[in-house]
Amino acid sequence: MDANGHELAEEAAPPPSRAPGIAGLSTPYRVVAALALGALGLAACAHLALVFLHVAPSNTLSKRHAETIDAWIYPEFEQNWKLFAPNPLQQNIAVEVRAEVRTAGGELTTTGWRDLSAEDAAAIRHSLLPSHTEQNELRRAWDFYTGSHDENGKPVGDRGELAEEYLRRIALDRLTPDHEGGRILRIQMRSASRAVPAPKWSTETTDTQTYYRELPWWKV
Amino acid sequence: MVEGVRRARAALARAVAEVSGRALGPYQSAVVRIGFAGTWLFFLLREFPHRAELYGPDGPWSQELAQRLLDSNGAFTVLTWSASTLWFEAVYAVSVLASAGLLLGWRTRASSVVFMIGVLSLQNRSVFMGDGGDNVIHLVAIYLVLTRCAQVWSLDARRARVRGAATAGAAGPVLWGVLGAVFAYGAATGRFSDGWLAAFAALWVVCGLWWLVDRYEPEGEGRAVLDVLANLLHNTGMLVIMAEVCLIYATAGWYKIQGSRWQDGTALYYPLGLDYFTPWPALSELLASSGTAVMLLSYGTVAVQVAFPFTLFNRRIKNVLLALMMIEHAGIAVLLGLPFFSLAMIAADAVFLPTGFLVWLGARVAARRRGVGRGFGPRTAGAVPGARAEREAEAGAGAVPR
Repeated sequence: MDANGHELAEEAAPPPSRAPGIAGLSTPYRVVAALALGALGLAACAHLALVFLHVAPSNTLSKRHAETIDAWIYPEFEQNWKLFAPNPLQQNIAVEVRAEVRTAGGELTTTGWRDLSAEDAAAIRHSLLPSHTEQNELRRAWDFYTGSHDENGKPVGDRGELAEEYLRRIALDRLTPDHEGGRILRIQMRSASRAVPAPKWSTETTDTQTYYRELPWWKV
Repeated sequence: MVEGVRRARAALARAVAEVSGRALGPYQSAVVRIGFAGTWLFFLLREFPHRAELYGPDGPWSQELAQRLLDSNGAFTVLTWSASTLWFEAVYAVSVLASAGLLLGWRTRASSVVFMIGVLSLQNRSVFMGDGGDNVIHLVAIYLVLTRCAQVWSLDARRARVRGAATAGAAGPVLWGVLGAVFAYGAATGRFSDGWLAAFAALWVVCGLWWLVDRYEPEGEGRAVLDVLANLLHNTGMLVIMAEVCLIYATAGWYKIQGSRWQDGTALYYPLGLDYFTPWPALSELLASSGTAVMLLSYGTVAVQVAFPFTLFNRRIKNVLLALMMIEHAGIAVLLGLPFFSLAMIAADAVFLPTGFLVWLGARVAARRRGVGRGFGPRTAGAVPGARAEREAEAGAGAVPR
């Protein structure tokens, strides 16, 4: 207790002989510190400028320096703050799956469509802490898939293949427990998109029909 | 003319003395540290039952898929060092421990580095599991390594108070040795990119040097130089964190302005009808039923986000907006079911909280802790972080404990 009291008193006492900051250093070290100050200042400005150009809409400067910006930003400083912008998503996109199964009895059956997104939604309901496995996994996998395939369902580059394999694995992980004893031969996925109806208090009308996008059957 | 130049030079000299002499914002950096470490720790514990599905080698985003994507984007992760479940479990466990270490401010520089490695390793391995919240944590985890974020409210500060130096004790050198061995293994087996190799090597060497000069030459010039460099690095890091928060709000706001739904004041209505973001449908419906409330909240959100960076020039308005944004994020946490995103954003906002408020908060917490459990080390007025800082805040400057 005594020792502590002593130390505290010392801390509160007048500062040591050396002045704080650059002023307390000898000339050679002052040069080092000044150089560090300059370098850090420049680095911070450069970093922030590049991040700014990365998050800003595509513009004259960001187009001209696209390579430099991407080289610095990717992979660790990538960011996207278009949260619910420019417009929020205005439709529910449900991902559904069905399977062709060889049952334990040797019978070949095709299951009905199973709405995996509805299962996610049910898990999220009344939860204060929704899991990423419920809220992001399937939803973002589907985004990844649609973003890496063209209109005709052709994969765009290597990412397309990754997305397909990812979706297939998610679907199988969820289907498998239901078909113990049997064997899943093929699966098919589709999305069911339905617009959020226009608000009751608005005069707008919205087409709330469900639109489907079917993917081909995939062998397991 | 001459007078103007003289004044400008004096101002510059004062600024240089300030940024080299002190690690500014001790309370703000501490609250950011606690906020982000706490959020990530909470997240890791909440997802503990789902950890294998999210980040494990046999999850839907399999080791092979992850490897193929990482080969193309070069993101940093230690999880690809081995495909064994044991390694994955070890990384997850270390990530939990590092979050706890950073939260408590224990051997903070080392904790912050391991925290960053944990965050990057898990997130980069499974990028498609994350959302905006993970994105903020990712960035701030990197920036926090630059800061001296344990000057207050930390075990390091307590050790410095009680034992005279934050470097006291054997844990520092042991940690340094263990991390050095892991680093050497990674470097020898060529698992780091050039950038990370240089960054980790520099961190390891400088931390060793710091320990040496702090231990053997606490009054020497070597320590003074490192102290100045650490202050400069800290102040740069804090500047970057603050600017990053401004960029987040500015882009979020400016992109919204361009959207027709934000313009007609119905934007907020739509997320309230999305199955993935309505954990409390009755609550969402209630809010969605009022056109006026939706419109006011939609416009308010855009106004606050766009305005925020500019209000930093006016302390009072800044504080009002800060409170509004924190309340809005708390609302989002429940209403849209995004608790970890909201916690991360609140932690990021906290970098702008006024020192007076943080000191008051610290004193409250300290008082409560004293009331609950006595015997947490000796207590004198000077030993309460809040009490000393209050005097500092009043004085406007003063030596900040390192």
